Amino acid sequence: MAGAAASPAGIRAPRPSGAVDDLPPPVRRSFGHRIRARLPGLAGGMLVAFVMLVLFGPVLMLALFSFNDSSIISLPWEGFTTKWYEEAWANGQARDAVTNSLIVATIVMVLSVVLGTMAAWGLTRLRFRGRGLIAGLNGSVLVVPWLIIGVAGLIFFSQIQVQLSLETIALMHLVVTFPLVVAIVSAGLVRFQRSLEEAAIDLGATQVQMLRYVVLPQIGPSIAAASIFAFAWSFNNFEISFFTGGFEQTFPVWVFSILRQSENLPVVNAVSTVIAAAQIVAVFAGWALMKRLSRSGEDENLTGLLTGGTR
Amino acid sequence: MEAAAIPVRRSSRAKRLVQPLAFMATPTALLIAFFLAPMLVMLGVAFDRGLLDGGVGFNFTLTNFTDVISDPLNRKVALTTFEIATTAMLVQLIVAVPLAYVIAFKAGRWQVPILLFLVLADELNPMVRIYAWRMLLGREGLINEGLMSIGIINHPIDALLFSQFAVTVVLSTSYLTYTVIPIYGAMKAIDGNVFEAARDLGAGWWTTTRRVLLPLIAPGIFISLLLVYIPLFTDFASPALVGGTSGYMLGNVVNDYVLEAGDLNRGAAMSIIMLGLSALFALVAYRLARINRLES
Repeated sequence: MAGAAASPAGIRAPRPSGAVDDLPPPVRRSFGHRIRARLPGLAGGMLVAFVMLVLFGPVLMLALFSFNDSSIISLPWEGFTTKWYEEAWANGQARDAVTNSLIVATIVMVLSVVLGTMAAWGLTRLRFRGRGLIAGLNGSVLVVPWLIIGVAGLIFFSQIQVQLSLETIALMHLVVTFPLVVAIVSAGLVRFQRSLEEAAIDLGATQVQMLRYVVLPQIGPSIAAASIFAFAWSFNNFEISFFTGGFEQTFPVWVFSILRQSENLPVVNAVSTVIAAAQIVAVFAGWALMKRLSRSGEDENLTGLLTGGTR
Repeated sequence: MEAAAIPVRRSSRAKRLVQPLAFMATPTALLIAFFLAPMLVMLGVAFDRGLLDGGVGFNFTLTNFTDVISDPLNRKVALTTFEIATTAMLVQLIVAVPLAYVIAFKAGRWQVPILLFLVLADELNPMVRIYAWRMLLGREGLINEGLMSIGIINHPIDALLFSQFAVTVVLSTSYLTYTVIPIYGAMKAIDGNVFEAARDLGAGWWTTTRRVLLPLIAPGIFISLLLVYIPLFTDFASPALVGGTSGYMLGNVVNDYVLEAGDLNRGAAMSIIMLGLSALFALVAYRLARINRLES
């Protein structure tokens, strides 16, 4: 697979003598030669560029127009201003909504990482009756649409006469988020060998030492990734917050209700830009953290993690 | 400090009884209390006459379901929903397969950065993304203004926003991450020699794609369908913000029943129908993915 990572040009380029010159050239020829010949690197690059433009272009424009000195968001550029940021900062509703989201997402992240890692350990390493059933229950949470879960939560809380609040939002977020942690961490646990754990116990490690010095370093990157995803799932969640929040607003619910009532507002641009910038920083910081945590270093982990979770 | 035999026996018994309980009790209890129980309560409410009887006690009825299904407006909305979700899914698959191929086989050292940006695209707040599109597509939006300023059109195209088109555009860009990654995963598992073998046997570009690449990534495609199609057809925020009346989807109908009309019974019935469709879809996609993996 090392050849796949190298650039196509690099594969066909003459090798420095002495390295592998005893190998017959046809074996080292690149695979997918024809596909590659018809789909040159340029087309691939253009595809990637197009996708990135579509994914991030609109958000960049949104950020740009948060600095436009005009109360309507359209083209004549009226000049640079930061007044929308000042207005956003002074906007009590916006601040409350963002604060609510941050609090809920932080709590949900911590609890789902703890609960999810526990359940992942139990499901992958322990044998007990009903294991398959519980694993199935975990998995089914991930397939049920958030809209349905939100509606079910609303009906459930109204039937048992619990007032909707930030607590009900957090509770429902937790229930949909920790199964994701279970999936990510289980994938991490399945990927490394149990014999290491048995060896540690045989060599006299206690259960806790084994967990701390053998298991944790192995699944550290998985837990880091799970934390990022758990935070984002809660922070970005709209449907569940919308239905189970009552009068409390999280950030997505605030944006939704503003946009339902009125035209586009520069204040929303300003708040959204801050949120998007923070999310970009968070993803890259999380990636750096994962790289540090993984022993083998490097990028195998990101790809392994992403693809591992989907199997 | 202790005799070896005792702790070993104790720990093995503990392993069998206490450990599973310690690790699994809280997560499972939570799922039962706040996932399973709400689903069952919603199921009950969907079969209850509810306010028709003054809302006292449980009175079994199928009226909620028959009302919801027989409403011609709902059928029309269901059709629109199917169109939008299917188009968005196809667009994303058509982009995702070549994109996954480029990332897996051609990106070289750009592989991880591209994947990271795809993850980032998913982490960005969906509401912010919907808002950004609304800004671009609007009557005075940047696309209309831009096209008018360079003289391609004289009047703004109204159909860009608050239309089925707008919802399709927004949804086609919403789940690309989850469409690409399973397909990318399937491609990474391919032994590159099969391409060479296909070439040596005289297969052309199209034959290799159709007879070698596509069968091998089929499980990944079915996983993508499973992950993406269900959130697509139950989406509610995008049609509510950019859909207008022609881009109305089933999610909006649920919202209308539950929050606008306060009719929990019909809202529950509608939700149960959508849940049933999701489950059916998930089952089929999952089975197809399994079968294909066994074959390949």
